[in-house]
Amino acid sequence: MKTYLPYLKDRIVTLSLMIALLCVVMAAIYPDTFPTRENFSQILLNLSIDTIVAVGMMVLLIAGAFDLSVGSVVAFSGGLAGHLMYFYDVNFMVAIGAGLAGSLLIGWINGYLITRVGINPMIQTLAMMGIVRGFALMLSGAGIQNFPYEFIYIGQSKLLSLQAPIWYMLAVVLIFNYLVNNTVFFRRYYYIGGNEKAATLAGIRVERMKQWAFVLTALLAGIAGILLSSRLGAALSTSGRGLELRVITAVILGGASLSGGQGRIWGAFLGSAFMGLVNNALIIGRVSGYWQEVILGLILIAAVGLDQWLQKQSAVRTISEITPKAAKNELPV
Amino acid sequence: MKKTIAVLVSTAVFLACEPPPRTDLTRTTQVKSEAAFVTADEVSPTEEYVMVTTAVNMPLYVNHDQAAFRQWAEKMGVRASILGPAEWDVPAQIATLEQVIPTKPAGLLINGTDPGIAQAVNKAVAAGIPTVVYDSEIPNTRRHCFIGSNWYEMGRLQGERMAQLIGGKGKVACMGILGMENMEAGFRGFQDALKKHPGIDFIGKYDDKANVETAAKLAADLIAAHPDLAGIGGFDSNSGPGIALSVKESGKVGRVKITTVDAEPEHLRLVKEGVIDYLVGQKREVFTWLGAQLLFDMRHKTVALSADDARAGVVPIPSTISTGSIEIDRTNVDNFLSKTIRP
Repeated sequence: MKTYLPYLKDRIVTLSLMIALLCVVMAAIYPDTFPTRENFSQILLNLSIDTIVAVGMMVLLIAGAFDLSVGSVVAFSGGLAGHLMYFYDVNFMVAIGAGLAGSLLIGWINGYLITRVGINPMIQTLAMMGIVRGFALMLSGAGIQNFPYEFIYIGQSKLLSLQAPIWYMLAVVLIFNYLVNNTVFFRRYYYIGGNEKAATLAGIRVERMKQWAFVLTALLAGIAGILLSSRLGAALSTSGRGLELRVITAVILGGASLSGGQGRIWGAFLGSAFMGLVNNALIIGRVSGYWQEVILGLILIAAVGLDQWLQKQSAVRTISEITPKAAKNELPV
Repeated sequence: MKKTIAVLVSTAVFLACEPPPRTDLTRTTQVKSEAAFVTADEVSPTEEYVMVTTAVNMPLYVNHDQAAFRQWAEKMGVRASILGPAEWDVPAQIATLEQVIPTKPAGLLINGTDPGIAQAVNKAVAAGIPTVVYDSEIPNTRRHCFIGSNWYEMGRLQGERMAQLIGGKGKVACMGILGMENMEAGFRGFQDALKKHPGIDFIGKYDDKANVETAAKLAADLIAAHPDLAGIGGFDSNSGPGIALSVKESGKVGRVKITTVDAEPEHLRLVKEGVIDYLVGQKREVFTWLGAQLLFDMRHKTVALSADDARAGVVPIPSTISTGSIEIDRTNVDNFLSKTIRP
């Protein structure tokens, strides 16, 4: 066991193992309904919207902040695009542009008020959550349908029998994984989240960088909102309700820390995937909705608890390895 | 070179894409089934009927829809599963529905919460699963049957009674969940009925988020802002108790008339006390029980219209059933309060 501990402290590894274990157990219990192509395609489709938002939230959490307004932005961007197409016959590309521009503006306002004015991120994004939800209600009303075919195409076309949002999700994950691992711009978020003062002293323009993180998160939420509306063929004012907490849970499961400086984009994907799989397992197992929230909460505590335990074990092992060497003057102490 | 490769790859991806079907989704009707629905001769104890809703823990659903559905399944000797998110989350209801479809249940009883679930309903029908939408109609679907209430009519009934209660004049407001298709239809019916009375000043519709405290706060604010407020209409299960609380606290019982939906024990008690003046209830047990029975009849060919209805593309159950409303006031509330046996 001790040999594997260094690997097991990596959240990507533990999450992958938990996902694999869950799949094996579910396939053994429900061989006819779980391990089917249709079911896995459905799981991926259902987690695609959450994952796109989770990628933005991961970047934000790495920088040491979070955004509670993302769920409302999802409803707002789809609602604005839908409103323009349905009531004003606006070209679908222009409508999408307007939805994304609106999302960018929300992100910019959040970022500006948090970084420049100094409003607490929780208060600011909580207030913005309500404001944007109100706008989404005004725009979507009782729901807008009958969109142009070109708009529907974006979210309902298939490639290799997988619906488009799955491919968009994979593209977003791969692109941001590359950017976060390989560009100086995104690597700075680790410094900011790890120690904001040190990052400032190192010459990083922390306020501006954080503001960009809010803009990016809102943009990804806007893209997710457009995709969701296109996929459903409807703009719903109730879209994205509770999404912010689901996404933050997935990102924390994926290795981010609320104090910042930690996390990887694959973690956001795997965290969403794990939650999607658990949700699917509960549906296939016909677990009543009464229990689903309880079980999801317990899983989150168990996953984070296991992670803490593995971290401790790893630290104990490291100290016990170093101490004898230090005693023999093999290591500088 | 890189640009050429990128253009080629993009073109290949575009050409490989399978576009969504260009279907005519402008009507809601039974259509000739493209995929025959699944039928069975024998009733099996493992035969499973699934109810998919949102806000699965809402007392209104638990006490009426789910209780009737479970009792029906017990009587018929089949399995009943009830699935859906705990919160009012329509995309999560859609996700649940889409994950249930591949498991091929014997029948799907879907709560018509929002027009946005239309495509998921159509997927269930396309998969050959007998599918009944209950409570509120979902436009643009190929559901086999809709059974439930007409919310516009419920709103109209409330509006007419409100006008009668306040003598055709005064300020009136209403509250419910803004943005929900069925409630917006109810608001329209309410306002259309009030428009017939020029002496009535409709001051607006408000979002109580199906929450008693929010409804109470809204009602208190309305009473404070409009001391001459004549009446408030409620459109979700928690509107009535919330409005009643504020009207009692402000000492305006009898002066601010209350009409609302649903007939939960608390609503009935408030009618008996004279705080709420009028209730318009849905026949929830009726539509869930009958909806499940229609699924069973469809699967087991209880009434055959041809040698093989499923293959002939004939749906052997009604297309639309309106179960109507229950009207309750002080004259008949005792009958409902003393009711102890549900179907």
